[in-house]
Amino acid sequence: MIKIQSLTKRYRDLTAVNDISFEVAKGEIVGFLGPNGAGKSTTMKMLTGFLPATSGTAKVAGFDVFERPMEVKRNIGYLPEIPPVYPDLTVEEYLNFVAKLKGLKGGVLKDEVDRVIKRVSLEAVHHRLIRNISKGYQQRTGLAQALLGNPSVLILDEPTVGLDPRQIGEVRSLIRELAGQYTVILSTHILQEVTATCQRVVIINQGDIVADDPLETLVEKHSTGNQPPSLEQIFLSLTEV
Amino acid sequence: MGNILTIANKELRIYLTTWTSYIIFGAFVLISAFFFQQLVLDYQLRSQEYTQYQYKDMLAQMNLTDWVVAPLLSNVVVFFLFMMPILTMRLFSEERKTKTLQLLMTTPVRPVEIVLGKYVAALCIMLIMLGLSFFFPVLLHIFGATSDGTTPLDWNTITIGYLGMALFGAASVAVGLLTSSLTESQIVAVISSFAILLMLYVIGAAARGQEGVWEQFFQYLSITTHLEGFLRGMIRLPDLVYYLSLSFFGIFLTYQVIEAERWK
Repeated sequence: MIKIQSLTKRYRDLTAVNDISFEVAKGEIVGFLGPNGAGKSTTMKMLTGFLPATSGTAKVAGFDVFERPMEVKRNIGYLPEIPPVYPDLTVEEYLNFVAKLKGLKGGVLKDEVDRVIKRVSLEAVHHRLIRNISKGYQQRTGLAQALLGNPSVLILDEPTVGLDPRQIGEVRSLIRELAGQYTVILSTHILQEVTATCQRVVIINQGDIVADDPLETLVEKHSTGNQPPSLEQIFLSLTEV
Repeated sequence: MGNILTIANKELRIYLTTWTSYIIFGAFVLISAFFFQQLVLDYQLRSQEYTQYQYKDMLAQMNLTDWVVAPLLSNVVVFFLFMMPILTMRLFSEERKTKTLQLLMTTPVRPVEIVLGKYVAALCIMLIMLGLSFFFPVLLHIFGATSDGTTPLDWNTITIGYLGMALFGAASVAVGLLTSSLTESQIVAVISSFAILLMLYVIGAAARGQEGVWEQFFQYLSITTHLEGFLRGMIRLPDLVYYLSLSFFGIFLTYQVIEAERWK
């Protein structure tokens, strides 16, 4: 579903992402892990076509991100780090607007907006201005927007930032439910998030991929002695500066 | 086309559900009402004077169109110069600041549709403002009728005057759109578009000390000299070309800025 080949992003003298390659199969949930500033968001922005790469290619649903941006955009639901919401619109107006931009019309549009509102439990606030709802609801509105139009690929950049523990639990179980139906790349630096939701982990550090394994394999690889290491220990040893 | 309307619709919704537009509308009506009252009083005073001293020639020259409506519109221009940057400053700057530009750029919408949608919305708000000032000529039409029932206004001239105003507005909206696309700070956007418009406004004064080609050049650049023809009821090609090309360049450069977003 997603195929990244030697993707590189350079800003003048800084290499944000250095020649990375990996693939994500259909229906898979991949945790994209790394310390702050490792290049996670940059990679995701390149995947969505928001940022151009310096070199290398990325394909989503068989379309090259740089050559066929429109087709790629139709197949992607993207939740950036900061939920891209308009404070002066109501939740429903906002979702209607995004649905129209995604090319939905008439009855289909209405059904689809109702569906995502139910999916992320926004029923209680859908008539309120986004400016007046809590950060948790804003984050969920952002997630609802990504789900609109049933895209085959979901790219979620730190989807649980700023949520309270209950909401974090809800969003994680929501993401688990998406498995199989959607292909999901989820970036985070919260390790429990990965163990709670993902099947595979890609760890990036200073622009390089340092690990790309299913969770169990990763643990096996790094076991020394009898005690299996925690993901935290693995993470710390892989991302040493 | 559908996407342009979707974007324009969203912008209009935000314009018409937040306070900024209404404060500007209110200030606009208040200030133009003040100018209108002054102009009507002045007109009344002069016509009394001329009647008293029997200046037949002067009296024959006086009419409400050239003495009240046209000067009113030239005053409205100054107000537009201040207010258009404020109306347009949030168009792109706010989207950059709140990261919603990222949303627009990752949905299947072309950059040109985003730019045109926003331009159309701001244009509508400008036309609503202009429409509010239409109240004054209508007032003159109703209460200024002479005893034999003829209308005191030359509606042809007024319509053309308003056309000129709309073109002037369209050009200033395009300038505001451009500066807004360049920065995520609304303050920077508003100051730069105001500076550009003010430059175009005062550059006519530079023509005075010049001769020949230079005089014509500076006069051509001035954003207000092109309005004079319209206010006297004349549609002249150079004036049309000036406003339309200024609008076009504003929109075109904004498009380039947004399109370049993908190549940073």
